Amino acid sequence: MTTLDTRPIHDEVPGNYLTFRRGILSWIFTLDHKRIGVMYLVAVLVSFFVGGVMALLVRTKLLFPGEVEWMTFDQYNKAFTLHGAIMVFLVIIPSIPAALGNFVLPIMLGAKDVAFPRLNLFSFYLWIMGAICAVYSLIAGGFDTGWTFYTPYSSQFSTGGTIPVLVGVFILGFSSIFTGVNFVVTIHKLRPPGMTWFRMPLFLWALYATALIQILATPVLGITVALLVVERAFNIGIFDPVMGGDPVLFQHFFWFYSHPAVYIMILPGMGIISEIIAVHSHRHIFGFRFIAFSSIAIAIFSFLVWGHHMFTSGQSPLMNVLFSAITFSVAIPSAVKVFNWLATLYKGSISLNTAMWYGLSFIFLFTIGGLTGIPLAVLSTDIHLHDTYFVVAHFHYVMMGSALIAMIGGLHHWWPKMTGRMFNETWGKIGCALVFVGFNMTFFTQFMLGSQGMPRRYYMYKPEFQIYHHISTGGSYIMGLGFVITAIYLLHSLFAGRKAPANPWGGASLEWQCTSPPPHDNFSVTPRVGDCYDFSAVSWDEKQQGYVVDVEAHVAAAQSGKGH
Amino acid sequence: MTNLMTTLLMQSSTAAEGPTPKTFWLPEGASTFAEQNDWVFNFINYINYFFFFLVIGLMVVFVWKYRQKGREVYARGPNHNTLLELGWTIIPTILVVFIFFIGFRGFVSMKTVPANAYQIDVTALRYGWVFKYPNGATSEDLYVPAGKPVKLVMRSEDVLHSLYIRDFRVKQDVVPGRYTTMWFQADHPTQGEDFHDLFCTEFCGTGHSNMNRKVFVLAEADFDSWVVEQGRWLDKIAPEELYSKAGPKLFARCAGCHTLDGKPGTGPSWGNYDGSGNIWERTSKAASAHKVSGKSVSELVGAGKQYETPEGYLRASILNPNEHIVDGYGPAMPTFRGQLSDKAIQALIDMMKHLDEFDAKGNFVGKK
Repeated sequence: MTTLDTRPIHDEVPGNYLTFRRGILSWIFTLDHKRIGVMYLVAVLVSFFVGGVMALLVRTKLLFPGEVEWMTFDQYNKAFTLHGAIMVFLVIIPSIPAALGNFVLPIMLGAKDVAFPRLNLFSFYLWIMGAICAVYSLIAGGFDTGWTFYTPYSSQFSTGGTIPVLVGVFILGFSSIFTGVNFVVTIHKLRPPGMTWFRMPLFLWALYATALIQILATPVLGITVALLVVERAFNIGIFDPVMGGDPVLFQHFFWFYSHPAVYIMILPGMGIISEIIAVHSHRHIFGFRFIAFSSIAIAIFSFLVWGHHMFTSGQSPLMNVLFSAITFSVAIPSAVKVFNWLATLYKGSISLNTAMWYGLSFIFLFTIGGLTGIPLAVLSTDIHLHDTYFVVAHFHYVMMGSALIAMIGGLHHWWPKMTGRMFNETWGKIGCALVFVGFNMTFFTQFMLGSQGMPRRYYMYKPEFQIYHHISTGGSYIMGLGFVITAIYLLHSLFAGRKAPANPWGGASLEWQCTSPPPHDNFSVTPRVGDCYDFSAVSWDEKQQGYVVDVEAHVAAAQSGKGH
Repeated sequence: MTNLMTTLLMQSSTAAEGPTPKTFWLPEGASTFAEQNDWVFNFINYINYFFFFLVIGLMVVFVWKYRQKGREVYARGPNHNTLLELGWTIIPTILVVFIFFIGFRGFVSMKTVPANAYQIDVTALRYGWVFKYPNGATSEDLYVPAGKPVKLVMRSEDVLHSLYIRDFRVKQDVVPGRYTTMWFQADHPTQGEDFHDLFCTEFCGTGHSNMNRKVFVLAEADFDSWVVEQGRWLDKIAPEELYSKAGPKLFARCAGCHTLDGKPGTGPSWGNYDGSGNIWERTSKAASAHKVSGKSVSELVGAGKQYETPEGYLRASILNPNEHIVDGYGPAMPTFRGQLSDKAIQALIDMMKHLDEFDAKGNFVGKK
């Protein structure tokens, strides 16, 4: 019987975290945040593949305005529901915090692990259980509610797999909460000497803000789906008016979580972009404090704006007015971040690596995603645009074009660190370009579809919309090809990639100071902390084919206040 | 700022001859809201173009100008600039406050129903709409008088729906268990076969994308005579022609859930699907194997039983559908009490008796 990996962390073991112990059980029972991060990454990417296939099915159906033989109305409804639910609950929410965050956070912070390694592993297995419930729901008849589970459709009418998937969402919620708790405690308690809050990399600020939302908002989702299960299973009226409930109450509950959840998705993405832009520009991030505090501001405001999803729901006009007004408060910190990234490029020394291509793609796509949020936040124009493809396009620009592109950018940024291998830069750029072009073809056309009045979740549509759908579907195939290429060269690099130096891009934060891949316990001596955006002590080393940080000079610069 | 607003809005609201034409971004604008909302939408668009090209332009210029040369790594640039940072915080704040304000103005007018508005009652049900006019006339498509404010008072029979007329720029969810309202005014009658699209925009199940109908705007005099005629359309049909002329039209409301060819829908097919014949045959046959509420139909129908005649059973199934439910189906059918007159119910039952004279879509094709 294998026991949990509790070997004292200071055991001198040669090699790295991948070779530290071998065998499948050493992964299944691992308490190493890096291995848990890698397992999350694999699980999330597999889910991303499944969700992507669903998206391509939906897009292929939409090539035709009428009925098609190979996909019925109900199959279409189940396909888009599954696409949404998988992408939100299984992919985007855990992608950056649980996969990349788990791997990077302790190393960036200078810690040997997260504060509660067992809780971390438990959180991963909760994710697996949630995913199993989702798969079971397919066997039990699937579900066709849309990922929003609106009542009374979900409580009385939808197909048999609805309860299993709700149970799955409930469990996934706890997975997310535990990750959040772990990160908050880790950042508070495990910072090494010298790692003050204002020396902490912005990715960690973003993860911290995200963790606060995960802890405070996710329980509401748990309560909501639990009530829905109770209503559906036992006919206890909560949301269904036939039994004395109120369907609009469900929407309040649901968006009270799901709006903050948008920031669970995007905030860590913004954190990654701050890292990528600064490191690949080899230049101190501009306006550190503004970016750091804007993350916290976004986290706080995110709790106050849920009602902007409900301008047509029948809630009182006064509420609509208040929610519209508060919504604009979120726009400001988001805009501030974009301007700060631009200013960081200014007078930088920008190396256009694949990760940076993703970083620049993010700025492009997030700018569109953010700006198109304005007509949706404005009361009179939202009435026209609500529940049309305009909304679909907007949230894909934010959730996929921004959050997921940031995740893939981060994956490239830290790939050498995680795997010890370099991927092929040329193929990386080809993959990124295909994804970028395909994405814009797919979703920019949907802005036009939406503002012309095409409702979302439609199987059949008016022939006048067909040309837009053709472009959109064509784009989705190009994007799919880009992701396939990306998967191939990344997998290829595992076997044939050049061995990665410790610091391939010239970063100055702590993760670049341990080897690639990192040793099991990250740091054998307590790391010395400088200003992670001060690149004055970073130089190219021909022998290693990578960058080196002169730690003495780096720390001295920070202590003399030169860094800031 | 209010004066500036008024001037800007006045400029945009020069009276048009007909609906505003479709543009790159927006569909035809055919209500009084369209002008104002489109102005706001376009205004935001121009601001968005400006900021998009500013951000992307600067990004491209910086990336080109400051690209890495050789292995030179350390770049010196300003770490922060308080004035600049305050500037790009405060200027967008002022802009969005202004944008909120113009959207708020438009919204207030959309929520302020004029006292003289013409009221139409709307019932949404999967997957159709029933529009009921003050004289009791009903229609499947929406007919409205031109140049007059129209108020819709809406309720749902089953799940959430949302009534969306894109050319009018109006949308409102229809919520079971409560009434919601919206209003609009369309000044220009639709010409001939032309119409405005009415879509359901809240996902409501299998037939969600079929839950769209037409909106016709009629000149006020035409509307008045239409609504009177509409109230009497059934009266003018002779009893022997009732099933062939009125049947298909009435069945269209059933077709969202019931098929004629035996395929299952939300409800049982009217056609033969379990070997006991079509809806009339399985209800009227003495030894029908057809099961409802766990019993055979023939236990319910016949002399001395709950229903004397099959007609009586079918009528009850329309008016009180959840009393007896066909085995294998759920209580999904709404009552049609108050929505179908006696004559309409008679037409439907007659149609059931002559199902072989209809094609699979419910069109009358005559004796084969």
